[in-house]
Amino acid sequence: MKLLHTKLPDFMKKMYIATTGKHPEKTIRIRGLEGLQSAKMQSLRTGRIEKVVEEMADREDISSIDFVVMPRVPETMHTVAVKGLDSEGNVKKVVLEVINILHPTEEVEFGDCTDIEDHRPPIGLH
Amino acid sequence: MKYLMFPEGKIDGKMIPVNIIFLNVKEIEKAGLTQDEAIRAVAKQHLEPTAINVFDLDACTTTSDGLCVEGAIVRMGAADRGRVNNEFGILPMQDFKFNKEQVEREPHLKQWAKLFPERTLFRGPNPGNKKIPVHNVVITGRASNNNSATEMMNIITMDEVLYPIIGQLESQRDGDLLIGWTGETMSVGIGMTVAEQFGRVFPHPQFKAGTTAHNSGAYAKTLKQWIPCIVADKKVMAKYIIRALDCGCVPGRDIGCSPLNLSVARALGAEIDFDNIIPAAWEELKSVGITREWLEKPLNISRDEVIARADELLPGINDAHKHKAREVIKELELNI
Repeated sequence: MKLLHTKLPDFMKKMYIATTGKHPEKTIRIRGLEGLQSAKMQSLRTGRIEKVVEEMADREDISSIDFVVMPRVPETMHTVAVKGLDSEGNVKKVVLEVINILHPTEEVEFGDCTDIEDHRPPIGLH
Repeated sequence: MKYLMFPEGKIDGKMIPVNIIFLNVKEIEKAGLTQDEAIRAVAKQHLEPTAINVFDLDACTTTSDGLCVEGAIVRMGAADRGRVNNEFGILPMQDFKFNKEQVEREPHLKQWAKLFPERTLFRGPNPGNKKIPVHNVVITGRASNNNSATEMMNIITMDEVLYPIIGQLESQRDGDLLIGWTGETMSVGIGMTVAEQFGRVFPHPQFKAGTTAHNSGAYAKTLKQWIPCIVADKKVMAKYIIRALDCGCVPGRDIGCSPLNLSVARALGAEIDFDNIIPAAWEELKSVGITREWLEKPLNISRDEVIARADELLPGINDAHKHKAREVIKELELNI
């Protein structure tokens, strides 16, 4: 690996190519990253996930891929930065608060499917 | 294996967002299952988001404002579409055998000492058993079972229900229930806690009797004002509060300065530790019409009269409808 982290646009592009490269008629919808303008994604896992997408797209009984990114844990603590800007957009004041957000766990994405493969390491061993 | 369920759906114009299932440790044992196995097996029977609470009716527990009651939740689960999340879907509660040191640290437990010291005490989980420091919650899919299984939510619709422990116990013994909106008084009351180790809401002793966990002034009454709730009938609550007072618990010192505890103490002319109630708590109490001046004019009526007039004397719950538990609780059976 030359790089340890993959740029977000490259990550998205890799998943699209993994789907449509050999199967241009198939589609992928990526959800859960809409809030990010930019990010660096772990390259090792990017590669592994790319392979998963390729293998999924290779299946004859699969016509499209729904690619969902969600928090690994269902309660996450966030910083809220309330920033006051002047008329020229300069930050004049920042107040920091904390908020906990409850998320549904991955089961909301399963539908009726019972063929679930979990490649994730246990919490704390990653 | 027999079990009980309050079903998801609309009742009296209020939306109950999840099924709430009551399992009994004795039924689980008779079926030859572990508690986790029982939770998972029952989960498979229901596709809706479901909270699953395992009860030991021979144990004891506390309410958030410090009443000690017979029966306890010993494990909680959350299920959705028949599944239980492997990491976050089940949590056990911490057990305590009777010990005098704990009673000294947590004076509301005088009730435990006097009434049923032979019972094992359960409240909330031990943080050491959680995979990450979530609050006292289990989550699977859409279902969230919070605050040690007394508040349940559908995370997708964002609907919620409050189902305090005495309401859950009444539900299992064909008792008397009220279903309504929490209202301003209950919104204030749930912040008037006692400080406990591994408590239902807080894992470590934090907000002692006489303080407020909300600390929100006039906003405390709106925090949880419009939540559907399933609670015990007020005459049931009156009996438990009277019992706590008769055990020597003083509101504002030993038990929480909740509107219910204070109202019953006032009606009886029982002691209230006015000076130990902090200004922030007074501000919240005043916002729902409970002032020191009002409390200092006791009614001095009998215990029987307090219970008979409970609907009038105990404030709270809007648009309440009375139900016998059997009208709303389903009896179900799981074939092993």
